Amino acid sequence: MSELRRDPIGGRWVIVNTDHPSKPEEFEYEPRTFRGGTCPFCYGNEAMTPPEIEAIRDPHTSPNTPGWQVRVVPNKFPALQIEGELDRRGSGMYDMSNGVGAHEVLLETPYHQKDIYDLSGEEVEKFLSMYCRRTVDLIKDKRFKYIMIFKNYGAAAGASLEHPHTQIVALPMVPKNAMEEIRGAHHYFNYRERCLFCDMIRQEKEEKKRIILENKYFLSFCPFVSRFPFEICIIPKKHNGFFYEISAEELPALAVILKDTIIKLKKIFPNASYNFIIHSSPINGDSDTEYYHWHIEFMPKLTRVAGFEWGSGVYVVATPPELSAKFLREA
Amino acid sequence: MPELRKDPIIGRWVIIATERSKRPDQFTAQAEQEPVEKPCPFCEGKEKETPPEIYAIRPRNNPANAPGWDLRVVPSIAPFLRIEGDLDRRGDGLYDLMNGIGAHEIIIETNQHIANMADLSDEQIAKVIACYRDRVLDLEKDKRFKYVLIFKNYGWAAGSGRIKHTRSQIIATPVNPKRVKEELVGARHYYEYHERCVFCDLIRQELETKDRLILDIDGYIAISPFASRFPFEAWILPKKHSCDFTNLEMASRLDLARILRKTLAKLKKGLNDPPYNYVIHTAPFKRPKVGYWKSIDHDYHWHIEIMPRLTRVAGFEWGTGFYICPLPPEDAAKFLREVAV
Repeated sequence: MSELRRDPIGGRWVIVNTDHPSKPEEFEYEPRTFRGGTCPFCYGNEAMTPPEIEAIRDPHTSPNTPGWQVRVVPNKFPALQIEGELDRRGSGMYDMSNGVGAHEVLLETPYHQKDIYDLSGEEVEKFLSMYCRRTVDLIKDKRFKYIMIFKNYGAAAGASLEHPHTQIVALPMVPKNAMEEIRGAHHYFNYRERCLFCDMIRQEKEEKKRIILENKYFLSFCPFVSRFPFEICIIPKKHNGFFYEISAEELPALAVILKDTIIKLKKIFPNASYNFIIHSSPINGDSDTEYYHWHIEFMPKLTRVAGFEWGSGVYVVATPPELSAKFLREA
Repeated sequence: MPELRKDPIIGRWVIIATERSKRPDQFTAQAEQEPVEKPCPFCEGKEKETPPEIYAIRPRNNPANAPGWDLRVVPSIAPFLRIEGDLDRRGDGLYDLMNGIGAHEIIIETNQHIANMADLSDEQIAKVIACYRDRVLDLEKDKRFKYVLIFKNYGWAAGSGRIKHTRSQIIATPVNPKRVKEELVGARHYYEYHERCVFCDLIRQELETKDRLILDIDGYIAISPFASRFPFEAWILPKKHSCDFTNLEMASRLDLARILRKTLAKLKKGLNDPPYNYVIHTAPFKRPKVGYWKSIDHDYHWHIEIMPRLTRVAGFEWGTGFYICPLPPEDAAKFLREVAV
């Protein structure tokens, strides 16, 4: 018998195939490949991108020249544009606004072929710290209500560029999924006066069956309600609503758990594409951080999403998270 | 300047990225590496290769599970949900769960080995529509079920398997699915405020502006929705208000078949036979119990959503529920209007 499980945060139901769970070798995913060609994000090609916004670079090197370790540039084809006032308006029954926002590309490393698992802990830490620096800077713009940090790795996960990169998008409104999570967590908090995510961490640590890795400050686990097989959540044990407030002690621990989780995943699924997204509290509003808890949602791209999922919002998970976690723990 | 648009029903924002938009004809489906086709168990003469049929249209009254049929419904051999057992709702600490009870059926739309529904006749598609209705009404009798979702996956990228024989699927669920619930709640909310159906208002505005209109025939319209998530997303709606797909009158089935076939044929011809999904969104089963409201007959309006799979959904979309559509729906509709079928 398969199981229907309800997400305690957003209330979403998913179908978990506990009957005949798919084993790792049964997934027919599209492997990540390199097309090659000239990459505008590689070391030495700095002139091929729009001028950099910020970088971590060797002393005495000038912007837009070699000598960098992490580099942030504006997206050449931005989904949103930085200039202009937000102009919300209606057209008959429809509501719209101009597309004001920021869209930046963060180059995690100068090396085209390296992914997070090839980098040292310090290198990962460096680009994670840049996530925070960019957020702190973008928050100053009061038009923005949400900062979205996400990574598409591999063409199957929607990446159009090969060079290891993360995207940072500042939005003038809080996106739907974030709003749902926040509402769910708020509802739980009003009822119990406790953070839902803190309770979840407590239960996961007790039950242990969905945990992949744990260190002093972070937990990496397969959520009870996953939408995708081998979906992973990385969450700080200490309660905080905002990612960018991560402490100097937590940052290296995050770099290590992120890197080690990806190494485990790579052992099971070589060359699999993936997405990850940082979920954090909205900014420049009346958001209360008491009930929300930032975390990273990590989704390997192993399956194709079909009509049932699109039409219903109910996902069918071929491998129960307990089994995914076991495979990952033992990898 | 890109535009942010809000879906008037569920309130989802999408980015219509006008600046970097490609021309409509640049979205045509890539000749992707489709995996090797498997021998087809759905053709006439292969009846023994499927589980026993649940339903069939047999004009000469041939026996079940033998040749001589126009359309057949069989249980899925790999069902997401199973028909036997109790729901057994329970908790596990913080988490809620229940048994995976439901129905999962495959509708084999023709006895011929045809891959795309766009290549069926209007009369054959009308039979498929009649079958959808009959199956929904039958599944409604099972009191454990709250909703029936009818959907189609065409092509590998749309989640279809290695068998290229046109078919639809029906899944009955013991819960109201999230996407459907959002629409129901959004439509009710609009009705409470305006005392009008949001879909009827939408149809009125689309017929007036015509910018996003693809087809307007026989009591149905096909449109590119204002807040499209995907390039060439299309919705088909009946002009006459009705919340429930199963209320479809006999004469209207052929009309629906015609607009559905024409829309699919436009996609096939204009975009090089792209993979696509479609789903039918209709009212949940009318059972006077928790979660059911009286105004549903007035506030909800069934429709079909067609989603060509021409772009990949990336982390941004999964994480935020905030879609970037690289083609303005006005351009998509204009392009599809001009494809002659």
